[in-house]
Amino acid sequence: MGMGNNKYQNRRDFVRKTGKILVAAPLVFIPAMLAKKIDAKGYVWQIDPLKCTTCGQCKTHCVLTPSAVKCTHKYEMCGYCDLCGGYLRQGVRTISTGAENQICPVGAIKRVFIEEPYFEYTIDEKLCDGCAKCVRGCLDFGNGSLYMQIRHDLCANCNECSIARACPSDAVSRVPVDAPYNIKDRIGPL
Amino acid sequence: MKPDEKDIRLLKFISQVAAGFTLVVALTMLFSLIQLKTIDPLDNPIVASVKEQYDRDPSNALLAEQVRAVDLMARKAYFSSRWQVETGSYLLLAGAVVFIICQRLIAGSKKIAHSRPGMQPDVPGQNKLAMNTLMFAGVVIFTAAIVSSFVLRSALPDTLSEKRLAAGEERESRASRRAVQSAPFVADPTNYPFFRGQDGRGIAGGEGYPTEWDGPAGINIKWKTEIPKYGKSSPVIWGDKIFVTGAEGKECEIYCIDKHTGDIIWTALVHDLPGEPDEIPEMDHDAGMAVSTVATNGSEVCAVFANGNLVCTDTDGRIKWSKNIGNPENIYGYASSLIIYENTLIVQFDSNEKISLMGFDAKSGELKWETPRQGYPSWSSPVIGTFDGQPQVLVNSNPNVTGFNPVTGAQLWAVEAMYGDVAPSCAVNSTMVYAVTDYAKLVAIQPGQPATVIWEDNMFTPDVSSPVANDDFLFLVTGYGDIACYNAQSGDTIWTRYLNEPFYASPIIADNLIYILDRSGVMHIVRAAEEFQLVAKSPIGERADCTPAFSDKEIYIRANTNLYCISESE
Amino acid sequence: MLAWHMVVIAQERFPRPEFETDYTYPEYQLPAARHAAWEYIDTGVLILVLSVTTWLALKKRSRQGLVWISLFSLGYFGFFREGCICSVGSVQNVALALFNDGYSIPLTALLFFIIPLVYALFAGRVFCAGACPLGAIQELTGIWPKKLPRAVEATLATIPFIYLALAVLFSATQSQFIICRYDPFVGIFRLNAPYTMIIFGALLLLAGIFINRPYCRFLCPYGVLLNITSRFASRHLSITPAECINCRLCENACPYNAILPSDLEIKNEEPAVVRRKFITYLVLIPVFVVAGAVALYILSPGLSGANYDVKLAREIRLEMKEGIPAASNAAIAFKGSGRTDEQLFTAETEIIERYRKGGPWAGLFLGLSIGIGLFSLAIRTERTEYRPHKGKCYSCGRCFKYCPVKPKTEST
Repeated sequence: MGMGNNKYQNRRDFVRKTGKILVAAPLVFIPAMLAKKIDAKGYVWQIDPLKCTTCGQCKTHCVLTPSAVKCTHKYEMCGYCDLCGGYLRQGVRTISTGAENQICPVGAIKRVFIEEPYFEYTIDEKLCDGCAKCVRGCLDFGNGSLYMQIRHDLCANCNECSIARACPSDAVSRVPVDAPYNIKDRIGPL
Repeated sequence: MKPDEKDIRLLKFISQVAAGFTLVVALTMLFSLIQLKTIDPLDNPIVASVKEQYDRDPSNALLAEQVRAVDLMARKAYFSSRWQVETGSYLLLAGAVVFIICQRLIAGSKKIAHSRPGMQPDVPGQNKLAMNTLMFAGVVIFTAAIVSSFVLRSALPDTLSEKRLAAGEERESRASRRAVQSAPFVADPTNYPFFRGQDGRGIAGGEGYPTEWDGPAGINIKWKTEIPKYGKSSPVIWGDKIFVTGAEGKECEIYCIDKHTGDIIWTALVHDLPGEPDEIPEMDHDAGMAVSTVATNGSEVCAVFANGNLVCTDTDGRIKWSKNIGNPENIYGYASSLIIYENTLIVQFDSNEKISLMGFDAKSGELKWETPRQGYPSWSSPVIGTFDGQPQVLVNSNPNVTGFNPVTGAQLWAVEAMYGDVAPSCAVNSTMVYAVTDYAKLVAIQPGQPATVIWEDNMFTPDVSSPVANDDFLFLVTGYGDIACYNAQSGDTIWTRYLNEPFYASPIIADNLIYILDRSGVMHIVRAAEEFQLVAKSPIGERADCTPAFSDKEIYIRANTNLYCISESE
Repeated sequence: MLAWHMVVIAQERFPRPEFETDYTYPEYQLPAARHAAWEYIDTGVLILVLSVTTWLALKKRSRQGLVWISLFSLGYFGFFREGCICSVGSVQNVALALFNDGYSIPLTALLFFIIPLVYALFAGRVFCAGACPLGAIQELTGIWPKKLPRAVEATLATIPFIYLALAVLFSATQSQFIICRYDPFVGIFRLNAPYTMIIFGALLLLAGIFINRPYCRFLCPYGVLLNITSRFASRHLSITPAECINCRLCENACPYNAILPSDLEIKNEEPAVVRRKFITYLVLIPVFVVAGAVALYILSPGLSGANYDVKLAREIRLEMKEGIPAASNAAIAFKGSGRTDEQLFTAETEIIERYRKGGPWAGLFLGLSIGIGLFSLAIRTERTEYRPHKGKCYSCGRCFKYCPVKPKTEST
């Protein structure tokens, strides 16, 4: 400053002003361009049970341990079978609650007798680690009433969900915050 | 406010302790985290091997006990390491926070040493150095980008078209190699001798079959004839004659119908054969005795009924030979159709007592061979295919899909792939056998020694109708109303549609169209191509479960009571 | 031929039970998502924190205050809100929304992107000083700062530009969010992450004890935008509260090499030399721009492998062509999905086309950045005082107490 070289000073001021306009422009234009694409409510991640292939990566690819994905039970779709594909390992000979018969590696499914011949199956979410083995069993031999969902009390709602990136069937996608679950109502896929 | 020297010493000590503590916790945690991720106790090989042992001997209570013990241990290990990680992370955070706060307090109290700086910094020199490194960095970045573009280039689609071409050529050359070994399958345009046509493959010969008709309105209906007795068997055709069966009570009949007029030329009554069971075997209520489809080779017309009566007539209705081959009683009723290879009449016999495959001399009725099969009764029918020059009879059943030598009856190969009730028959093309049943899966098997499963899928599984394949595609329709087209070689699902009507009749490929008859009697005609294209939907006006027959530009559909001839020329 | 077994008319294989006892289906409560109001609270807190930081850095000149406000941000945006949403990652949301019709950007993501830049335009990088939890955790752990040699610093400082270019390219082509994927500290904020993430974060923090703010300086892509914007800031933190007396005491105060020394004692170069340099480096800018655009155009199909469909298509093609079985979970799911090879290959071609379109722009940005960087180093700027480099300064206030000059108001 104070060098008295007005020519340089003016030139520098000009560069500075132009630069300022250039960097300020995007701050105005970007919001203007996005004005129509703004979603005030935001979104969360969720699994589409009809696309899910029960590959088991929900358990391994969530940034959280244990995974924020848990098995969910749509009781209204359940057959309440004694021989439950989601509870018992394939090919078991005896139907009992013994560990040797259970499909769930952490014993998170509770089996309760309701009435002849029906049994109710309940998921203990504290234990469930999201491996989807029971979901596979239920899809193969049952009504598909067990399905995987992301629990929003656990989910960190990452900007890009790690499971979505790993999901082989593109089943994890953004859903609106006010409809955060994909409740299953049919066995699909058709 | 400012800490004095004594405080600083204390702070230093606390921060050192905190640092040590944090480090120990961090290492322990890292170890248990890695353990949890790498040797997941739940996927422990010991658990798996104990379970496997138990599976082999499920009655062993000791083994069951062992599974429980190991499983409990694995779960304990899993949950305790989960707990360790959770608690550890809080400890770690606490340690780190203490350390940082102490260090910050120490740093904040440090006096700035206003030491007189040394030499005036060499600004131009520093600038020059920075410029050089920046220039260098720029050049490195752009070179790295160009170099890595070559590294990352592999498998880019630029050469896609060439590769496709090459793949096509390869397929062609494979096909031509096969052609040298055995003549390719070409279906006869006139004769449609078995259930699902020639060799039971579901492929009709000839071309120019009608696509549009309307049963109730009589559009393109050349004639319709009431079949005197009830039956679920499908029509077969040789020359100008259609053969079909019907039964009421124990009265079983073969009908010969004039292809051009619909007149019944003759009726052969089959009853009271020696060895025949006194009672009608138990079966599904709407099955009946005439479920199995007739097989003909132009000189013999052979039929089998649900009480085990097997009969062969000549084409004029004179019985050449007949015998009862045993009571094929099973839960739904006997359903397998007959097929003839050269002079051998092949019978798939499935009863509660015995399951086997039999070969009779079609002319004399002499039993040439009988090969017992392992497993449970099934309701599928034998199909003939040729692989590596070897003709084979292919049987789909629970649990084995099996290939037999049609001349000697010797089993060539077997693949354990099915379970439950098996009704669909195999589909065959020049390289593979496809077997499917509901609640199990669809498998593509390459016959050989040993036969290998090339691909499988369980998305679409018919319960009754059989799949059909050519060398490009495999089509199937399900009891739920789905139609699916697979890539026959790779197993990729090419397209699927939900047609909303259950299918029992098997789809037939004729002139590059697939004819799919739903249970309400509507024929869905779809192009046998990469893309789904519905060509027409034509109703017959009656419920229909039998597989249609195709001959000389005309289609024959057996509905609940009538046999229809559909012809465009009217 | 037919078999008659149980025909399942509905899709369900086993009919729904008709209970004779008075059993009712259990009420199944799915926990609700976090209330949307939190997003607005976050935005409010962000504005508040930025304003306070601006006041602390520019007016109050309190290093201690800045430490406390960054501690608050670390607690709130870091540990309480678990590091999501953050301005650094919001770059990708903006890029995704700008170039894709199917995605609408959450308002908070847009605000988190814009607000710190607006503050930077008026007051420099106050976001880095007080509001960014990633900056805060590094600032608090940077205990024994050591300076890096200028050459190393200048070379490493190009990484964020590349990182930003790639992050925008990948998100604009719907491939992936690499900034979030390789966020080093989010795992620490959540006290839960894959161990590779934790190790990366811990190593950066350990390095940061000596080399302060390693993520901010050598990785942060949002820092690039703040750097550019902040260069034109109307006001900025100053080292001295009044007039600089050129005592040189602050020369070694900044661990980030962000103090521009006064050049009173430096000889002026010959005008002819100055003019030659000026023209040479001005001409070099378009050269770098073209080189960058060409290089990334060539590289872009290779980069497209970051996209899910492109990766899958490659696997499927290898199977088709060379018989290498496509056995990944993605390939298996694809085969069962009913999507044809054709459709996949068409999608692949489209994405590669988009990479080809976007790649040159990313290269152009890189070339322009390097070109302008060189140019600005080459031309002489006259300084009669010690002052912070507006682009590089994080407004952390470490230099305050090195200055012996007292503010004028105090002396009266």
